[in-house]
Amino acid sequence: MAIVGATIVLSGLTILSLIISQLHKIVGLLEKKATVSVEVPQEAEGNPKPSVAADNCPSNIAVTIEIYQPLVEELEEQFQLADLYELAEKYHLPHPHLSIRCLREAGKLESLGDGYFRLAA
Amino acid sequence: MELFIQFLTNTGFYLADYRNLIMLLVGIVFVYLAIAKEYEPLLLLPIGFGVIIGNIPFFKGFGIGIYEANSVLHYLYFGVTSGLYPSIVFLGLGAMTDFSFLLSNPKLMLLGAAAQMGIFFTLLSAMALGFAPNEASSIAIIGGADGPTSIFLTAKLAPELIGPIAIAAYSYMALIPIIQPPIMKLLTTDKERRIRMADLREVSRKERLIFPVVGVMLCCFLAPASIPLLGPFFFGNLMKESGVVERLAQTARSAIIDTATIFLGFTVGASTQGDVFLNPRSIGIFALGAIAFSIATGSGVLFAKFMNLFLKQKINPLLGASGVSAVPGSAREVHMMGLKTDPTNYLLMHAMACNSSGVIGSAICAGILWSFNM
Repeated sequence: MAIVGATIVLSGLTILSLIISQLHKIVGLLEKKATVSVEVPQEAEGNPKPSVAADNCPSNIAVTIEIYQPLVEELEEQFQLADLYELAEKYHLPHPHLSIRCLREAGKLESLGDGYFRLAA
Repeated sequence: MELFIQFLTNTGFYLADYRNLIMLLVGIVFVYLAIAKEYEPLLLLPIGFGVIIGNIPFFKGFGIGIYEANSVLHYLYFGVTSGLYPSIVFLGLGAMTDFSFLLSNPKLMLLGAAAQMGIFFTLLSAMALGFAPNEASSIAIIGGADGPTSIFLTAKLAPELIGPIAIAAYSYMALIPIIQPPIMKLLTTDKERRIRMADLREVSRKERLIFPVVGVMLCCFLAPASIPLLGPFFFGNLMKESGVVERLAQTARSAIIDTATIFLGFTVGASTQGDVFLNPRSIGIFALGAIAFSIATGSGVLFAKFMNLFLKQKINPLLGASGVSAVPGSAREVHMMGLKTDPTNYLLMHAMACNSSGVIGSAICAGILWSFNM
């Protein structure tokens, strides 16, 4: 009775932990689909892009964060800036190099060492 | 004169029994600990005063005592015997719980499962000592360190044991600062206690919304008997996370849980009438409860060490002790122990993850034990 009970509890919670460990990936996949189907057409329609001067950071960094947040969520929890740059290029975002640099300077891209970063909370 | 003598024979002074006096002393100690030492005052104050009320001697047959039909206390006690109060407490608990910490590090859920091993070890011990399976199951659930769950299961399986089991469960919850630290210290090295946990990732709102739905389905499909506890628990959490019924969530985590806690504590205390409560079985239950709680703490810690054999990013084994469901007492104790070893090592959030997993784990255990005894 005790062994059966212990096994059921342990296996039940193990399954639950496995499921919730995949939850963010499932949500990420769903959001990725939404990003591809919604955001790219928006750009094609010529919706306003963040006003970024060629050599200056945008006055409102929050706009840049808002644009880069979905990109970061597509990547692993810890990512390299090159991957983020590639993704930004893929979505034809303007001035990706400058935007990433500005995010770094504003402390919004947190260095984790070994060339890996994450978006600061 | 005869009337006066008759009146005197009906007073508590005349009817007093030594067992009532012992329990009155226990009640006063509980009230003292709650007020002077602030040991779990939300639990010990209502219980302590309930013990005092329940042990004032009275003449039987007039509908005064908690065990007498039609008494006010008896009606209030219905919430305990029917399992109503524990369900309401779980609703409020769900509306208070933030699962973000658990969602960002799901591995910690296993520690909540491991800490339930105390329950099953005690089940075997109690049966070996001659308790019937239903009684042994009710005693064993004390190892989950969850008062409402213990009361719920005992109400279903062995209602005659509610008093001692509830008092034991709540007492051990209140005594966490005394029981857990020596066990944690004994089972871990200084180096292990210094292990730092990786930063928690940010959890999206969608994850927090999906979790209660997935959680309730998985847990309740596995152990349908835990629906009365886990149903309200996850519902309370969904209300909190949805953000669209903030008023209801706020009521659930304040007025509703507070009301249930008051009546639960008070009536459980009042159910400890000396003549019913003080017997060798109660002492046995207290002893087994202490063993169950200690094993639960130890098994959590040892399981964390076992996991470390396979993990690249090690887990601080102290976290295993917070796998019991005493929220937030055990998480606080783990955090304090971590700080004592390294004042810059903050374990609280990680410990809360284990704690919330422990709540789910002990409710599943209750469901399983109930179904085993059906």
